[in-house]
Order: sequence, then C-alpha cells, then structure tokens
Amino acid sequence: MNPIYLIARKETGELLLDIRGLLWLMAVTIVLSAFSLLLVGSTELSLLDNAQVVYDMTAIVTALGCLLALIVGVDTVAGERERGSLVPLLLTPAPRGTILMGKLSGVAIAWAVIYVLSLPYLWAVGSTGQNMGQGMLITALLGTPVVLMFGFLGISLGSRADSARTALLTGLVTLVLSASPVLLGPSLRQSAIGRMFDAVNPFSAAVNAYDAVIIDSQSIISQSTHFAIALAWLFACLWFARFSFGKITR
Amino acid sequence: MLVEIDGLRLSIGATPILHDVHLALSAGEIFGLLGPNGAGKSTTIATAIGLLKPDAGHIRMLGKDPQVFANEIHRHLGVLPEQNGFYGWMSAEDYLAFFAAMNGLSLSRNEIRKRLDTVGLHTRARQPIGTYSHGMRQRLGLARALIANPDLLILDEPTNGLDPRGRREVHDILLELAGKGVGILLCTHLLDDVERLCQRVGIIVGGRTVAEGTIAGLVRSEHRLARFRLKLASDPTQTDEANVTVVAREGEWWVVDLNPALTPDKAWSELLSHGWAITEIRREGGGLEDLYLTLTEGSAA
Repeated sequence: MNPIYLIARKETGELLLDIRGLLWLMAVTIVLSAFSLLLVGSTELSLLDNAQVVYDMTAIVTALGCLLALIVGVDTVAGERERGSLVPLLLTPAPRGTILMGKLSGVAIAWAVIYVLSLPYLWAVGSTGQNMGQGMLITALLGTPVVLMFGFLGISLGSRADSARTALLTGLVTLVLSASPVLLGPSLRQSAIGRMFDAVNPFSAAVNAYDAVIIDSQSIISQSTHFAIALAWLFACLWFARFSFGKITR
Repeated sequence: MLVEIDGLRLSIGATPILHDVHLALSAGEIFGLLGPNGAGKSTTIATAIGLLKPDAGHIRMLGKDPQVFANEIHRHLGVLPEQNGFYGWMSAEDYLAFFAAMNGLSLSRNEIRKRLDTVGLHTRARQPIGTYSHGMRQRLGLARALIANPDLLILDEPTNGLDPRGRREVHDILLELAGKGVGILLCTHLLDDVERLCQRVGIIVGGRTVAEGTIAGLVRSEHRLARFRLKLASDPTQTDEANVTVVAREGEWWVVDLNPALTPDKAWSELLSHGWAITEIRREGGGLEDLYLTLTEGSAA
C-alpha cells in the first residue's frame, strides 16, 4: 500500500476518530451554527442582501479553514513529536518526502471536511438568492490554496519550533496579521501601506476575490491576480514545509 | 558487524554532546549501552539511526552510512525509542497493521494477532491503545519494533514499567531473537537486565565511551573485586585458597572475594575440587554495579 495513502488515512483518523480532532470539528460547527443563526435570525443582519450574506459566510468558512489547517499542521508534526509518535514514523523505510506528502494530504482532507461541513450552512443562509453557487465555487477554488498554505505553514513551524505551543502561537500571530487588513477597515486599507499589504496578503487575496465575484458579480477568471498571489504563497509554504520537515532530528 | 561506531563527535548548536563514542555490535549479540542520565546514550542512538548528523567519526549501521542510506537501514532496523508514543484512538491490531504496511509488508490479521500474542497482547488486540497501561504500551512498542523481522534491534529501556513476569517475558524474547542472529543494542539503567542479557557492554560518561568489553573482562581489567555469598553444606577443610579471600562468615553463609583475574566458573570448579560443598551462590555487590558506580562517579545528572 502506498505510504502517502497510509499516512493520509491515519491523519484522517486523527481528525475524525480521535477526541481531539472531533472537538475541533465540533468547535467549527458551533461557530458556523452561531454565525448562520445571526445572519438569518438577527433583525438587523437579516436585512443584508443575499450577496453580502454569502460573502460573509464564505469569509468565515475560509478563516475557520485556515485556523483548523494551521492547528492540524502544527499538531501533525510538533504535537506528534511531543507525544513520541513521530520518531517511529520517521524510522520506517518511507522517505521523508513521502511522509511529508501524507501529512500534507491530511491537512487537505481536514479542509475538505470543513468545506463539506460548511455547505449546509451556506445553503441555509444563501439559498434564497443567486449567489450561493458562485460562493461555493470561489471558496473551493481560492479558499483551498489559502487554507492549504496555512496548513503547510503549520507543518513548517511544527518542524522547526521547539514545542507545539511555540509553533501554534507563531502560526496564530501570522494568521491574525494576514487577516488584519480585513479587520482594519476600509480607510486604513486605502492607505499606501494598507494597499501594499493587501496586494501581497494571501488572506486578502481570497476575500477580495470573494468580494469581486459574489458582491460585484465579476467573473472568476478575472481574479487571476488573486489566484497568483494565493498560489505563490502556497508554493512558498510548500517549499518551507519540505525544507523544515527534512531537518527534523527527533 | 551490524553496528560500528568509532570516534563519534557531535554538537547541538554550540554545545558539544558527544566527544568520543565508540561501540561495535555483531549479529546475535546483545550489547548493553550504559551511562548516567544525560551521558549521551540517546544522542548516540539518534545519530546511529540517521536522525542526527555527526560532526566527526565513523558510523556504519548494517554496513552502511546512516547519513546516506537511512531508508535502507530502517528497512532492517527495529527501534523502541526512549519516548514511545502511539495513536491512542487506534487498536493495537490496526496500529501494527499500519506499521507493517509502512514497512512494505502485507500481514494478515492472523499474523498480526500472532505478533501481539508474542508480547502478550493478543486478548487486547481490538482495544484502543489510549486505554493501555504503561507496561502494555511498552509491549506494543516492542511488537512494533519487531514487525519487519529486523536484523538489528535498538531498544531504549524496553523493560521500563513492566511487572516481573513481563520483564522476564521480554528477556526471553530478546534471548530468542539473539539466538536467531538478531543483534540487539540495549540501552538501560537496569544492571540486572544487562547482566542477564548482555555479552558485552559500553559505558558512556559525559559523551565519551569510558569502558567497552565483556562484563567479566571489564570487571577484571578494572581490578574490581567480585564478591559473592556462598552457602555451604559443611565447613570447608581448607579456607586459604589462592584465588579466594574469605571476608566474613555468617552462619552457613560465607562471604568471599574472588581473584579479579579469575572467572567465577573457574573459581567454583577450584573450590568444589578442594572440598567446598557449595549449595547456593549469591552476588554481593562488586562486579558490573561496582564498576558502573566507580566509572560514573560525579557525573550523575
């Protein structure tokens, strides 16, 4: 049996059968449920138009995906190292690159699970308009590289940091910094530094593309710049993960 | 030779950890690697299996350089590391099947259960590992190390946490494996285990091998007295033996020091031939424990 498949299956088990993974998934569904309830139940928020609601939902799904991918990425290396289960895996005849591919696949499966979990919520808030399909598609196309990028970053940090806690905190700071243009508000985003940061930020690339496609009804093909930014960061983090995982000593 | 390490030096960052480690292990041999906490035993093992890159020295595992042929070496190597972690949600059966598959083996469920039976976990095969006791995890770790029928086993404290019966069972497994030609590098603080299992030992202190050889040879070369307590059926007719010094007499027990240059079996033959009616022999300190304590004095972590 292919070791990549074996490790990916093991990682899926960690997510779906281990209590730790199940708790994270439960937390994700609680946040999605609360957010959906707010969007459809709150008097003020229910006045938002359908495109805005779908946009908000896709942004929160992507943010949750990035957070969980980061946690899974850190845990699959640094967490396993602290639990003592990484070394036996490294001592199998499978090459490091193969083991890494299995772990990267585990991150991708975690994102796939969150994406599937989010579909009923997207349907619940967006089924009354014309934007749900576009929302689902752009989240799959542009959310995927951004979420995977954070998962690969988690693996890189987990490989290099002394502890899972350090790796996770560093990853969370990076995630918050990436999401900061969204939090800063329109006026700060329009400043020179804000625009520059926005231009190279993968998280901004995703939400700006969501904005353009879902709210402004632009075509997905017109988002090539945003795709390029997300893919560049994805490949950079993949290279970093490969480099860092190869350096693991024990 | 399965393991050849000579002049091994390694620093982690700016801190030198290993200064001059050497050891050799051949097929069918059980070699005890001893040393106080922090002496460099685990680092030596990590370097030998290719996880750490040495600064200098010669390492050959199964005749190959672990820095170049790590994956090929791992194919013939079983390791029970010091920190032995598992996937708590998996059953022992699934866990072994996973590692068998990772080693390129397709073992049937029956074969997996046989492996679990070897380490006494057959009845718990479907139970999640998360519910296992420390001793059961040690047994499962040993089963994992043995899954690919390795030529070389490296075991870090394999009997740690085992009850006396479990410890004896692990001893029997290791002796059987050595009898089949498997080389075993045993890293432990339990000198009883070492004396029972190992033909040769190496003692590492402060990242340096300070002694390597057979237990009897090291004890002799260091001029350690081997002190024994002998139970005699009757008083000996002659007590001024050349190779034995009587230290004390406590009822029917006689405390004696053997000449360090003489192996115990030769001493007993000599005493029996001189009319010593020995019915029971017990070691009284001396030997490996004394040697270890002397060599590691002042280096306890």
